[in-house]
Amino acid sequence: MLHSRHMTRPEMPTNARAAAIEALERAVGAAHVLHAPEDLIVYEYDATIDRALPDAVVFPATAEEVAAVVRAANAHDLPVVPRGSGTGLSGGAVPVKGGVVVVLTRMNRIVEVDAANRIAVVEPGVINLALQETLAPLGLTWAPDPSSQRICTIGGNVANNSGGPHTLAHGSTVNHVLGLEVVLADGRIVHLGGRVADAPGVDLRGLVVGSEGTLGIVTQATLRLVPTPRAVRTMLAIFDTIDAACEAVSAIIRGGVIPVALEMLDQEIIRAVEPRIHAGFPLDAGAVLLIEIEGLAEAVAVEAEAVIEACRASGAREVRSADTQSERDRLWEGRKSGIGAIGAVTPAFYILDGVVPRTLLPVVMRRILARSAEYGFRCANIFHAGDGNLHPNILFDPQESGAIQRVLDLGGEIMRICVDAGGSITGEHGIGLEKRSYMEWIFTPADLAAMADVRSAFDDAGRFNPCKVLPGGHGCATGHADEVARHLATPGVYI
Amino acid sequence: MTATDDHLMTTDARLAALRHAVPSDTERSPHAYSIDGVEPAVAFSPAHAQEIAALLRAADEAGLVVVPQGGRTALNLGRPLERHDVALDTHGLARIVEYVPDDLTLTVEAGIHLDALQQTLGEHGQYLPIDPPPDDGVSIGGLLATARSGAWRGHLPAARDLLLGAVVALPSGELAGSGGRVVKNVSGYDLHRLHTGALGAFGVIVQASFKVAPLPTATRTLAVRAQTLAEAGVLALRLWNAGLAVRALSVLAPEAAERAGLDGTPTVLVELAGLDVAVDRSAEIVREAARALSRSAEEPAGAPWERLRRLHGDRAATVVRLGVPATAVAEAVEAVRAAGCRSWGHIASGAVIGHAPHLDAAVVERLRAFAAERGGFVQVEAGSRALRAAADPFGPHEVDLVRLLKVRFDARGTLNRGRWMEGV
Repeated sequence: MLHSRHMTRPEMPTNARAAAIEALERAVGAAHVLHAPEDLIVYEYDATIDRALPDAVVFPATAEEVAAVVRAANAHDLPVVPRGSGTGLSGGAVPVKGGVVVVLTRMNRIVEVDAANRIAVVEPGVINLALQETLAPLGLTWAPDPSSQRICTIGGNVANNSGGPHTLAHGSTVNHVLGLEVVLADGRIVHLGGRVADAPGVDLRGLVVGSEGTLGIVTQATLRLVPTPRAVRTMLAIFDTIDAACEAVSAIIRGGVIPVALEMLDQEIIRAVEPRIHAGFPLDAGAVLLIEIEGLAEAVAVEAEAVIEACRASGAREVRSADTQSERDRLWEGRKSGIGAIGAVTPAFYILDGVVPRTLLPVVMRRILARSAEYGFRCANIFHAGDGNLHPNILFDPQESGAIQRVLDLGGEIMRICVDAGGSITGEHGIGLEKRSYMEWIFTPADLAAMADVRSAFDDAGRFNPCKVLPGGHGCATGHADEVARHLATPGVYI
Repeated sequence: MTATDDHLMTTDARLAALRHAVPSDTERSPHAYSIDGVEPAVAFSPAHAQEIAALLRAADEAGLVVVPQGGRTALNLGRPLERHDVALDTHGLARIVEYVPDDLTLTVEAGIHLDALQQTLGEHGQYLPIDPPPDDGVSIGGLLATARSGAWRGHLPAARDLLLGAVVALPSGELAGSGGRVVKNVSGYDLHRLHTGALGAFGVIVQASFKVAPLPTATRTLAVRAQTLAEAGVLALRLWNAGLAVRALSVLAPEAAERAGLDGTPTVLVELAGLDVAVDRSAEIVREAARALSRSAEEPAGAPWERLRRLHGDRAATVVRLGVPATAVAEAVEAVRAAGCRSWGHIASGAVIGHAPHLDAAVVERLRAFAAERGGFVQVEAGSRALRAAADPFGPHEVDLVRLLKVRFDARGTLNRGRWMEGV
């Protein structure tokens, strides 16, 4: 990961700070408030580059306590930043203007699983994998499966509208949330959506999902579950070049078969992962595709044939099929360990998240690799190819003079390549702090003004997660990303 | 213009201001646009998104209430309008902006009808996988604004989940977009989701991008006649859990079965869809499950799904939609039937539809209590003006935030005033 970048801001007067902390202690109990500097530094960052110290960290146990924290923060004019496990990849949980970080990990109860109706009710601090493990014996699963699922929370998934490999077939988190209990910026607790899909009323549920903690704090979520498939086929298609693998992705989609997952790993990733995980990825392959199909056994067999044919026609060297559950698990272990494995082969890396139309994958990948080479950086790619969701990882050494600056420049250029191809600046990691300057590349001032109107309707004072999602904002520092954004800005809004 | 000026303007002056803002060749006779028997003062059918934005701004400044309308298939969904000054016909915006079959993505203007769209998509072996009431005669803008689904919902995504992005004309005269044209995207707020199902409260959808799907290579409908609704419910739940290649799975009370062209008995109606082999295997599973209850699965003649869709979308009747968990669907079909309706329910979405010539507000409230006890809700989908004024068409939902949003986007109540609640 990148080395940190500290954000500085004026200190709060000592008296005001003491009074605010006392109010927070009344809200959740003194045992659940941190305010000593040595305790606060743990909460100054997430999985990205920027860091900033909060004034206090609180650990509420109920929605009422969250509401009490919000009211206390309002009374003392402090920003409120919700946080789950801190695995976010866009700086969403970094308290850039200080204030109160609300850590929701104590609210980790699976309140109810109604297997017959495929519904689960959970608190926001439940870990994604813990939910999956509870559901598996019931023949059910919650579809969002980000690679961080061992530690990320459901609340974080909801806040970021998280994806994962199986988003291709099942859609992102918002498709799997039926209802939400939310604490609003005025401390009110509201219920949006419900236990059954398509509840009457304006779909505020769909608006809050993915709003990155700027519109409300989710204190309970009612989730739609999907049944575990009858039959699954996991395949590994091996290619000599990234180009050929990209062509195969387009050919598969074009052929009318939509796999449930269609993932690409390039040679840089394979060479990092294989020695550690032994997933069976050939070290000399230019790229591999991990392809999964599910459904009735008879249909899976036919669709697998179509996929194999599309891969061969695109120049696959070999297409292997995982015959046993353990082979299948090993392939997925290789995929899910990919990002972690990069850390072992480079002093630092910068993970990017962009989306392009699937038909443009080959040309976009060529541009990204060419640009990385011109910068002199290695670029490792492990991504959700089926929905055009790229994750280039730029490998670098932070000790090298000016490296961080150049990595950020390249990151901006790669985002620009995605936008110019008619794509998006994020498919699943969110805008957070990191990408708000790039928002102007894909949205007009009128688009952004409408979004700002929504934000102020929910939170007129702007205390919830300030300086996130939308560009600008009162008192929000501009950083390197803003310079990159300005430098690369060209007209050409894509919608 | 200030509110004081607004009060001083005569109706003629307001209409003159509006006519000045939009091209004269877009004006239409208002006779064809009455809603609940109220004819608008003027009607326009603009040909471009910018013209709609200009019309909204002019109406907003002149204090006129605008009612957007496409296929006019769901105009009695919601409370009666407080006013209907300007009919905004969206049919002038009916272009396909971009269709990339190999990407399975599509961008269209909002006035295009679903049937025209399905025809273009069908030429490439694709479709927009949605079956709203009453039929494919709905406009895309209306489909989104009302967010109504049919029997496929739950097996396939709802319109809001197929929507990748949208552009909306606002009363301020601006065009505001959100989302994009790629199939996965979390940049910014999903305002297109806010507008989906908002009944035009915050803006007029002028353009929308969707992900589309390959057409199934085979479809087959099977009907199983049951002894009782309870038995039909048991069978339907078994089929729901059987891993079928299924696109619709419904429980029909006898009167609804009859209207669908089937025998007048409690019925499980299932539509299988997918590859031939998947449909064949699924059909075997359905037949086995029917046999286990000493019943048989038959391929019905006629078009039962289309008939049910039309019944759901019948504007001349009273139609209610309950939402209940899957296990309560059969019981809810029975309750809706006991309330005097033709009733049927979709297992996967939990939507239970009731169709009757008339219903009292008290009956709607009783059904609402029944649904609420099971964690669900009732929406009045169609009904007389009197019913929609007496019974809340929506039931309890978050209103304070909706009012706050309305103030930001449409402070003067220019759009569809009164459909949600007073002034909204």
